[in-house]
Amino acid sequence: MAAVVSVEALRKRYRRRDPYAVDGVTFELQPGQAFGLLGPNGSGKTSVVKMIAGLLRPDEGKISLFGSEPGNPAARAQLGFSPEDPDFPKFLRASEVLDYFASLLGLNAEERKRRIPETLAFAGLDKEKRQVRQYSKGMKQRLGIAQAILGRPKLLILDEPTADLDPLGRRDVRALIESLKRSGVAILLNSHLLSEVELVCDTVAILAKGRVLKEGTMAEVVPEGRTLEEVFVELVEASTPAAPRDHLPSFIKDKDNP
Amino acid sequence: MKGTLAVARYTLIELTRRRILLVFFIIGFLGIAAIGIGLRVFSSAFSTGVTFGPPGTVQDPAQVNRFLELMFIQNLIGALGFFALLIAFAIGMTAIYHDLDSGAAVAIFSKPVSRLAFTTGKVAAAVVAMIAIVGVLSIEATLFGFLFGGGLEQTLTVETVAQLANALTLMLLVLALSTWMNNIVAAVVAFIYNAVSGVVVLLHNEMAAGFLGDNGVLKVGLNVLYWLVPHQLISDAQRQLARAEFDLFSSGNQGGPGGSSGPTLDQALAGVPGPSGAADIIWWGFVIAIFASLVYIAVRRRQV
Repeated sequence: MAAVVSVEALRKRYRRRDPYAVDGVTFELQPGQAFGLLGPNGSGKTSVVKMIAGLLRPDEGKISLFGSEPGNPAARAQLGFSPEDPDFPKFLRASEVLDYFASLLGLNAEERKRRIPETLAFAGLDKEKRQVRQYSKGMKQRLGIAQAILGRPKLLILDEPTADLDPLGRRDVRALIESLKRSGVAILLNSHLLSEVELVCDTVAILAKGRVLKEGTMAEVVPEGRTLEEVFVELVEASTPAAPRDHLPSFIKDKDNP
Repeated sequence: MKGTLAVARYTLIELTRRRILLVFFIIGFLGIAAIGIGLRVFSSAFSTGVTFGPPGTVQDPAQVNRFLELMFIQNLIGALGFFALLIAFAIGMTAIYHDLDSGAAVAIFSKPVSRLAFTTGKVAAAVVAMIAIVGVLSIEATLFGFLFGGGLEQTLTVETVAQLANALTLMLLVLALSTWMNNIVAAVVAFIYNAVSGVVVLLHNEMAAGFLGDNGVLKVGLNVLYWLVPHQLISDAQRQLARAEFDLFSSGNQGGPGGSSGPTLDQALAGVPGPSGAADIIWWGFVIAIFASLVYIAVRRRQV
């Protein structure tokens, strides 16, 4: 089966004097597979998914998105991307944002009329009449997921999709991922919520400082009797030599100092 | 094409909801109304006392109206130019920058829209918004011109087109710069460019009118500078106004500027800059194409 996306020896740095934010990342994603990209803050997860979505240019390495370059609009037509901290044109309403993006996706008027109200209802924004600038972070996150699924993508990239959602929203996203997986959609999930990743992902890669520390199926990465969180912490701490274990500010620890 | 239209459509919707544009438009609208109504009220109150000749001369009310219309159009040209620039800055600073700055571009560029289609849509929306706002102000000005009898509509229309052309150049420059840098810094750079360009045009006109002497080196230097720095287009409005003023005074006051002792028409027009020629218009088109390309290159290179 042809990979939905394949990433090979990807490298990226933002300035010449900086270390690589992404350093030799390689993986493949098959249809119907849910792949979790894990890592601490600044490990390069968002850079990887932005390169796949054609938003950043890699310095080295290859990305194949549905068999072509990520810059190819035809390849991006099959991609749904929900960014971390999503934002939208501030003076538009949710329905207008979806209509705008549906137009960019090339959906005809009939399809737009059918899909937009349903997508808004799924996101819990169907009764929302305010402009995006008045939205909370959680509402923007819901709209971010809504616009990502609007085009019925074959690859859905979710970058920290539940960070700003309440428990009900998280449950809906989990149900969405499960449902899409069953219909053959590939999912690439960036998340700090390891319990969530454990629930929905088939394979994971743990990144630190732009490098893949471990990659494989959930069973391969998490041995029997251990949790993903334990494995994650152990791998990340081992990759950071001399990382202080107890680095609370002294004024917090000092009982005598009021 | 669909992508371009979608970007243009929703950029226009956004622009119509931006308060800053609305505020500039309202100030412009009220400002033009104030100039027109103010002059009309003034003429109604003092028309019997207005005279262009020696004390005691009784002035024809039609001439007073004509004089007031000339004053109105002259003030209006300055006001229109000022508001066209303000609107150019307001649109240029926001149309693309806010999408890039807020992160909206991340979601937009992940959709199957090319950067060319995005840029074309943004520029098209910005140009349409600019033409619509300045056009409405110009129509308002034309209507107020009828308060004074009318007759200079064509002058005003041609001047509006020139002002629009100059404002479009500046707007594209701000659009391009704001893709590279902070939009306030972009506006400051564009403002400096506009001031330099204005000084170059002024000096060039002074030289053409013979006010800067006959220094060959200066002539060559200013000519080179004039064609190097993208310069503003000038309509023949100023000349038409000067000519109309000359006619008014010469017919209404034999002892005035048009009289035997006054300057001739050629002398009166000598200091007024002439309209831009075909070469200037071609040069403007070239500059517009360059600036539009700069916007595209900036958007294309931009990583979000």
